[in-house]
Amino acid sequence: MSAKQKKPGTIVLAEALDITQAAPLVSELLKMRGSDIRVDASNVRRLGGQCLQALLCASSTWAHEGARLELVNPSPEFSESLAAYGLDPELFNSQEHAL
Amino acid sequence: MDTMAAIKQTFFQECEEQLVELESGLLAIEDGTSEPDTINAVFRAVHSIKGGAGAFGLDQLVRFAHAFETALDLMRSGRLSPSRAILKTMLMAADALADLVRVTRENLPADEAEVGRIVQQLELLVEGGDGAAAALAPVAEAPAAEDVPDFQPIQISLADLVGSAPEGARRFKISFEPKPGFYARANEPLTLLRELGRMGQCRVVCDTSHIPALSDLDPEGSYLVFHIELETEATESAVRDVFEFVEFDSQIDIEAIEPEPAFDDDAFARLMSLAAGAPQEMPALIEPVVRIAEPPPAIERVEADSQSRKAEAGKAEAAKVAGGAGATIRVDLDRVERLIDLVGELVINQAMLSQRVAEARLSRSSALAMGLDDLEQLSREIQDSVMAIRAQPVKPIFQRMSRVVREAADMTGKTVTLHCEGESTEVDKTVIERLTDPLTHMIRNAIDHGIEKPEVRLAAGKPESGHIKLSATHRSGRVVIEVSDDGGGINRERVLSAAIAKGLVEPEAQLSDEEIDNLIFLPGFSTAATVTDMSGRGVGMDVVKRSIQALGGRISIVSHPGRGSSFLMSLPLTLAVLDGMIVSVANETLIVPLTAIVETLKPRPQDVFDMGGDTRVIRIRDTFTPLIDIGQVLGYRTEAADPANCVVVLIDLEGHARRALLVDTIQGQRQVVIKSLEANYRRVDGIAAATILGDGRVALILDADAVVANAHSQAAALPEMLEPAE
Repeated sequence: MSAKQKKPGTIVLAEALDITQAAPLVSELLKMRGSDIRVDASNVRRLGGQCLQALLCASSTWAHEGARLELVNPSPEFSESLAAYGLDPELFNSQEHAL
Repeated sequence: MDTMAAIKQTFFQECEEQLVELESGLLAIEDGTSEPDTINAVFRAVHSIKGGAGAFGLDQLVRFAHAFETALDLMRSGRLSPSRAILKTMLMAADALADLVRVTRENLPADEAEVGRIVQQLELLVEGGDGAAAALAPVAEAPAAEDVPDFQPIQISLADLVGSAPEGARRFKISFEPKPGFYARANEPLTLLRELGRMGQCRVVCDTSHIPALSDLDPEGSYLVFHIELETEATESAVRDVFEFVEFDSQIDIEAIEPEPAFDDDAFARLMSLAAGAPQEMPALIEPVVRIAEPPPAIERVEADSQSRKAEAGKAEAAKVAGGAGATIRVDLDRVERLIDLVGELVINQAMLSQRVAEARLSRSSALAMGLDDLEQLSREIQDSVMAIRAQPVKPIFQRMSRVVREAADMTGKTVTLHCEGESTEVDKTVIERLTDPLTHMIRNAIDHGIEKPEVRLAAGKPESGHIKLSATHRSGRVVIEVSDDGGGINRERVLSAAIAKGLVEPEAQLSDEEIDNLIFLPGFSTAATVTDMSGRGVGMDVVKRSIQALGGRISIVSHPGRGSSFLMSLPLTLAVLDGMIVSVANETLIVPLTAIVETLKPRPQDVFDMGGDTRVIRIRDTFTPLIDIGQVLGYRTEAADPANCVVVLIDLEGHARRALLVDTIQGQRQVVIKSLEANYRRVDGIAAATILGDGRVALILDADAVVANAHSQAAALPEMLEPAE
């Protein structure tokens, strides 16, 4: 699963990231581990705590393993939710810059 | 039933369970047998009722539960010691809550005055602690000094607990850590964070330090912790209310911060920047953890406190898991009834099949006959298992009795303790339901008439507090319930003179002690010199006896003067099957319940005496007993049968009353499936129910008492026969 794949993949996040989406999201992330990915947040209307922690976990894992995780097209709801959670709306992008 | 009504019904069912939990918890605390988690369970019970009531807009229930919960919360946090006086108020509140749930369910008006009185007591508890309880709920005897050994009035702020007018902005430091169960119940932290945001100025820091590596991440786990600083005009209780429905699924610590001149925006900004900015060598998200893991000394105390709460919560969680091991499902009773009916049909069918095989004169060792034996065994096992579904422990009804004892003791000014044994003994649900009234009456009776007043007890060298024991045991396929007291026992002289005065017994009658004791079961008997609130309600022990008999049970009494009385009730485990003797009367087949039968005998013509009219008596071992021809009473024949060609079934009606029933032949003895005659046809006097026999014919189950009563009315001139004969 950690075999490096250089081909960039894209994960399109679901509209409602509630508990039912947490397991599918984690399994999709696991499948792409080690490769550069783009996470498309354009459809997100609701950001649940468990999907948020999965994304945060992926972000630090990717950073730690030297791969690139790019969060693209965040919907206004996605950014607003991050702020409400007490996180920097630019967090994922700053992560990218930090690498 | 529409969905809403169905959900509401479930809510009320759950309320019943919570009320049992509440009462047993409070009683355990009172007895000193409580576990550390008991107070939490008690609190949760009231809290759940409040939550459900809120969802249905049952405002009165919510208000009462809220007042109750507030007081319980104080006890939970150790700010209210569980002294006897306080527990008395709590138990009273539990009773009132049960009443309120009941009237709400039945859409009846609540006793506003009583509810208001209890709410007021609870509020005074919250306000004044133990002192208020002692003043408000005087116990029968003055509470001894050792009852409240560590009485220390604690000054607490009512504003925090019950809410008061806001006095400008307040600041709260909140730590909120959802547990996996929080998400599993479809909660989201964002909803709560937004709600806090609407209350005032809210700053949230998300602690991501607990997030594991991706390969270790449980997608449905919970790793985020939120630290919130809230500046609001709302009270602490309003802030707590935000977490009201998730508090058992999360770790919540709310700390009111002493007002400071101004919110230190700069400090917070620094904290934020620490959380957001990350050193290059470490993933940014781990950073806030490191900072938050070094709290200032002021927060350390809270953390320590939260640790102990965590430990408590852990235990609660373990208890939940333990409870989950014996998983249960809620099934509509109608479905169970249907299943029981079907199994009854199966048993009847199997009996019919066996009979056909017997009629075909097949060898007992033939494969068919042996296969049928197996089928019989199997259907008997299925029947037992299905009956077990309806079986319930007697615990809930026993618990209800503790309230009866409390109230009756209060009313009579006596002190009484109730001791229950065998609470897990299981009996059919219907039997349990119909036991409440007789038990209530017997216990009230025991307290009102049995247990002496404290001064009388002390003078007799007994402990001041009376003792009532309620026990249930399984004995030879029946359940035996005993209600005993250590009171004065039956005053036989008074009972006999009262019975004579009321014309229930002839003045010259010679009765044994046992017979005198049994006089209390006669209709219209009451010895209470003054009609009391409790037992003088026109419901006598005769009603108790009839209720027990209607359940197919029997009741007897044993009394020892000066030492107390004991009522023994023997009840069938189920009302769905019955052991009966199959008899023939004028070519009809009848079932006589085995419980009523004392013996059967072949009468000798010289033992039968004609008393004129249709009245006959039979001499059985020097005792004359009225002889009743069932065929005549039920109208199967007009001419009295010749006893020489019949069999006598001697039945026991009451302690000292026996009757000889005349039947043609006895076919055998077997367990039969009871079919209600009222539900399928109509009530028939003298007949308790019906069953279907192996040959497919309907057989009637005799109601021995009713047949005897009918015989009496048919032969009104029958003199009451008193044994022993001269």
